[in-house]
Amino acid sequence: MRILIVEDDLDAAEAMDRGLSEGGHTITRANDGMDGLAAAQAGEFDVMIVDRMMPRMDGVTLIETLRREGDQTPVLFLSALGEINDRVAGLKAGGDDYLVKPYAFAELIARVEALSRRRETGSVQTLLRVGDLEMDLIGRNVHRQGKEIDLQPREFQLLEYLMRNAGQSVTRTMLLEKVWEYHFDPQTNVIDVHVSRLRSKIDKGFDRPMLQTVRGAGYRLEA
Amino acid sequence: MRLPALFRTTAFRLTLLFLALFAAAASAFLAYIYVATAGEATRRTEQDIVREIRSLEGAYDRAGVTGLNVSLIERAAAERPFLYLLLAPDGKRISGSIEESPVDGFTGKPTWVSFQVTDLDAQLRQTRHPARGLQERLTNGEVLFVGADVGQDQAYVGKIIRALWGAGALVVVLGLAGGGLVSRNVSRSMAHLTEVVSAVRNGDLAARAEVRGTGDEFDELAEGLNEMLDRLERSMAGHRHAGDAIAHDLRSPLTRLRARLEVAFLDVEAGKGDAEHALGQALEDTDGVLKTFGAVLSIARLQAAGQAPGQILMDPAALGSDICELYEPLCEDKDIDFAAELDRDLQVRGNQEFLAQALSNILDNAVKYTPAGGAIMVRVRRRSSGEVEFSVTDTGPGVPDADRERVVQRFVRLENSRNEPGSGLGLSLVAAVAEAHGGRLELAEGPGKVGEIGPGLRVALVLPRVG
Repeated sequence: MRILIVEDDLDAAEAMDRGLSEGGHTITRANDGMDGLAAAQAGEFDVMIVDRMMPRMDGVTLIETLRREGDQTPVLFLSALGEINDRVAGLKAGGDDYLVKPYAFAELIARVEALSRRRETGSVQTLLRVGDLEMDLIGRNVHRQGKEIDLQPREFQLLEYLMRNAGQSVTRTMLLEKVWEYHFDPQTNVIDVHVSRLRSKIDKGFDRPMLQTVRGAGYRLEA
Repeated sequence: MRLPALFRTTAFRLTLLFLALFAAAASAFLAYIYVATAGEATRRTEQDIVREIRSLEGAYDRAGVTGLNVSLIERAAAERPFLYLLLAPDGKRISGSIEESPVDGFTGKPTWVSFQVTDLDAQLRQTRHPARGLQERLTNGEVLFVGADVGQDQAYVGKIIRALWGAGALVVVLGLAGGGLVSRNVSRSMAHLTEVVSAVRNGDLAARAEVRGTGDEFDELAEGLNEMLDRLERSMAGHRHAGDAIAHDLRSPLTRLRARLEVAFLDVEAGKGDAEHALGQALEDTDGVLKTFGAVLSIARLQAAGQAPGQILMDPAALGSDICELYEPLCEDKDIDFAAELDRDLQVRGNQEFLAQALSNILDNAVKYTPAGGAIMVRVRRRSSGEVEFSVTDTGPGVPDADRERVVQRFVRLENSRNEPGSGLGLSLVAAVAEAHGGRLELAEGPGKVGEIGPGLRVALVLPRVG
């Protein structure tokens, strides 16, 4: 994946660069908003990681400019501003996801991968399929090996998100944000309980478990 | 040179202004009185003189100079209060009670004149009286003068003028005294407020203005000032406390982190030990520190903003049911009986995200402290006061009465909860969210003690009524 990192904090940029390069991605770096704009206009990227506050041109202006020019590359905003209205402002400007500093590296990678996947599945799907697991988004039912699995509405949403990001790690925070739409961290392991319930429904009685726990990151649905 | 303090005050300047207006009004009033009384007396004398002249002219028209002369002699003898003089066309005196006309350079037109007459009083002393007279030329060229002594009138007018001066002086003196009194009171109240302000400026945040209970604008100002100072003091205390708390709560995990890194470093240097494990632990410690820091920041922001941003009208039951849905499986897993009673058709104004986080914090606590076999009850209802409460009742050990206020404070964790995970900021954040919505956090005893279980805790987030 080609990733553009626009970040004025050189240490943070270096850490991202190294981590993402190790994951096999091609990294281009820009140290401020103006350089970032030039780099984005010059090259093709799958995902852009953009710091919100930078010298010369801030991240929001940068993305607004790119979006006006018709550039639809998925953008992950990084920001020390975590209040809900900061988040809304970032997403309004054309950001696709918003990660508040400080973040765990696993969180960053999971979100970058989720963003790149989003673009691949641009067309509207009515049927999701991961291995022998099938989800009918119109009929709102789920089958594994032809056997219907009865899910609560929230479990359905949770599974849908996991299926759309199948093969990739999703973090607990991502689930809380995308499935429950909460942007705070509960002190207890609420998400784990929901995931383990879902797991018992889709994996129990089948020889191969699909919903895996990724240590230090979150969960992954494997075909 | 500076004026004495009293004269520099706005109150005194206002007093002077009002005094000036008052004096102007009084002068106009007194002038009117003067015209209506003293002026009237002079006018009446003049009318009398004119009438006398007309009557004498009647005699002249009927019987000529001779008839007029007779009339004059008769009238002088009758002790009429007039002075007469009749002159021939050549200016020679024909008759009259005075020797010569007080009119200089008579042109023939009717002429008014003020003059002095000499008279003898009861003690035969010569006295001079002011007099007023009118001189006219008659049809055949003779000149007639009639005058009247206005001494009586003048004395009367003088009295009135003196009375008016006296009244004027009284107005000024009373005005000054009253103004001084008023401005001294105003100045005193202002001086008190100024004192409080300067005390605060010099760092005494505990200074408060005296409210005298008169309900006037000074009381209003004093109350406003006190309220402002209360909030300021609370907020300053909050910040100070936050600073202390951050220092206190971050110091131990940071120290631990440092120690772990140091040990890992030494181990790696010595070519032994599990560096990876130590780094993993260090990362975990760092996350803990950052979480605490984030919570402190949220609380501080809410408290600094005063009002939660982005408040909208919403259905509290919907909010409650979303959060219940999130926590119910957790309770089931821990073998805790979970129930919810969410009243429909209620409205609250609030920031959805903050309220959800507050409720989640309350439930986190409830789940954390309720033992297996216990129960948790979530309720959304309207109180008779119109306030809406979100309440969570559990059957955990509860919080002793004496500690309830303390657990809401930042970082306070009761002794028996030290081993539970958490930053100790949960309820402080709930309290900050409640306050930022104009509401409050209430802690009470739960359902009571049954055997080893209970007495439980009832935590309520109370929001003000809408509309």
